[in-house]
Amino acid sequence: MKADGRTGGRAVGVVAMVLLSASPSVRLSAQDSTRIAEAQSVLAPLVETYGVSRAEGPVREAVKRLLPAWVKSETDTAGNLWVRVGQGDPVVVFIAHLDEIGFRVTGIRDDGTLELETRGGFISSLFEAQPALVHTDKGIIAGVFSPRDSGFTRHTPPPLRVDVGAGSRAGAMARGVSPGSTVTMPKQYVRLTGTRATGRSFDDRVGCTAQLLALRRLDRAALKHQVIFIWSVREEIGLEGAAAAAASLSTTPRRVHAIDTFVSADSPLELPNFAVAPIGRGAVARALDNSSVTPPAYVDSLVQVARARGIALQVGTTNGGNDGSEFTPYGVVDVAIGWPLRYSHSPVEVIDLKDVVSLADVIQAAAETW
Amino acid sequence: LLSISTLRRTGGRADARTAKAGLVACVLLSALPPVRLSAQGDVDHLAVRFASMTAVTGLEQAMVDSLRALFPGSTRDRAGNVTLTLGQGAPKRLLTCPLDEVGYVVGNILPDGFLLLRRVGGGGGGRMASPLLDQQLEGHRVTVFGTKSAVPGVVAVKSTHLTRGRVAPGAPDPVFTVDNAYVDVGATSAAEVQGLGIALLAPVSLAKRPQLYGERLLAAPAAGRRAACAALAAAVRSKPKVRGTVVVAFTVQSLYASNAGLASMKALLGPFDDIKTAALPVRYLDTAVETVALADADRLVREIVQWMEGR
Repeated sequence: MKADGRTGGRAVGVVAMVLLSASPSVRLSAQDSTRIAEAQSVLAPLVETYGVSRAEGPVREAVKRLLPAWVKSETDTAGNLWVRVGQGDPVVVFIAHLDEIGFRVTGIRDDGTLELETRGGFISSLFEAQPALVHTDKGIIAGVFSPRDSGFTRHTPPPLRVDVGAGSRAGAMARGVSPGSTVTMPKQYVRLTGTRATGRSFDDRVGCTAQLLALRRLDRAALKHQVIFIWSVREEIGLEGAAAAAASLSTTPRRVHAIDTFVSADSPLELPNFAVAPIGRGAVARALDNSSVTPPAYVDSLVQVARARGIALQVGTTNGGNDGSEFTPYGVVDVAIGWPLRYSHSPVEVIDLKDVVSLADVIQAAAETW
Repeated sequence: LLSISTLRRTGGRADARTAKAGLVACVLLSALPPVRLSAQGDVDHLAVRFASMTAVTGLEQAMVDSLRALFPGSTRDRAGNVTLTLGQGAPKRLLTCPLDEVGYVVGNILPDGFLLLRRVGGGGGGRMASPLLDQQLEGHRVTVFGTKSAVPGVVAVKSTHLTRGRVAPGAPDPVFTVDNAYVDVGATSAAEVQGLGIALLAPVSLAKRPQLYGERLLAAPAAGRRAACAALAAAVRSKPKVRGTVVVAFTVQSLYASNAGLASMKALLGPFDDIKTAALPVRYLDTAVETVALADADRLVREIVQWMEGR
């Protein structure tokens, strides 16, 4: 989910978070265990694939490998991956983004260290003094994000640089590093206790996963209209892929469902004013964020769709922007759906796999019955 | 050879002992002739292996056990040091390597399953740690060493999205301290935490993921100490012809209680005619990417062997 600094100062803390107490809680059963295992089998390889904004190719290819065999996909000129299912109006779009936050090399110093610019919004200190990976045409080059050498009383470090141990500009270039290379930190999908897991770039690989899981279970014969699944590019740097997709579809779709993170305040460090959707209690209707407001009637409809199938769904408001907001200028209603995430845009985002299953079920239900 | 001019101090007070050891090592190593060692290839493997281990000062038992398995015939003294005696007769010399690191223990378990921490080492009674040492916990993976297993966890961090727009421009920007470190192992209750074998005083460290980069550069927390211990281990495994008696000691509690491990070593097995401590120059000291050149570790192996052989 895009960290939207444009409207982040708005006082949006007054909107209540409503938990659907009538919805069944998501409990592990024998069937759920199978579902959770399947969710993990899709999510883990996606999380461990790298794809900074503008360099989503490896993630797109990973998604294509995980599509059901019957699916025919296409990639548009922006880099978005499309899958169209069913026929007829009103067209409904689901969109999750492929890209992740990171860095891009802007220059190489005489000493061989790399100057960087950020791709997306995050807390820079989380990368300081950490292992680094530089993604070059020749492959991945290991290095480290250099620790600061002054300013020890501040949380925020000076602009970060990467040391690949080259010692000189020529040495770095000989390793294949060049301006434009993207830079990340090594990441790993790790299971925590119970059904929880940690990793980096759950935002929005969980959304990508949920769309894949929904497609796998989709009853194509039940579709009353065309459903388009899009895995978009460049969300973190300004919803650029979604903008291209929205322009190409124009006024054709009736609804768009951005499938993206619900940044949760379910953490001892967060204020409880809003966004208090606990992890493990199901997907979340993202009724209000910094980029879109879902009409209340549509929120109610989504709740009914979930309730009819006994799917756990929370309703809430959080911060950030979403891809669906690029469709609203064309008269398309954005009914964003997320799942609760702790510690967004950090190396240790935390999810509950039960929420991934819940999200996939909501997508499937919305595609088949709404 | 890594020159002193390239060493970078990255935080806190300068570590005079380490810097001096590095300087001495550099000077000595540059003058040493090559030594043929069958176990020299061990260094890279051992350095990465040791850098993957955790030995919170005063709570080094797991690494001590690993070292004892590596050296049949070694013993663990009452302080916890691993010792191995080579050769016999005079002179009687001591060859040491501190194996501990600044770390944390579980200080409290909250009803909702989060853990709070207490730092061990790095703040009095030993070398002062960098002011940014604790900040490296924030938003990173840790390992909690429970009685049943090593349990993965993460240290909570504020979500970027929920922070933006809620911090006034020019607001104070204090460093993260351990008092704000909430460890999330995925549990939802204190009972669930206890079910994992986690109790008060369980050791906690950053998840160890050593990174090799450049020309045999090794980055990891406490990489310099671990690579120096690896050099010592490789030297011993090369079976040098020891002159007199050499007591090899991997010492504990060097960062706490006035270097209690080494002090007890001297008290229990001394006096010694000479004492040598294995050390290597490092870059990015006290950070999660403390970096050591394994080429320097090669040279240290040769230096140690020559010292043991009395050449």
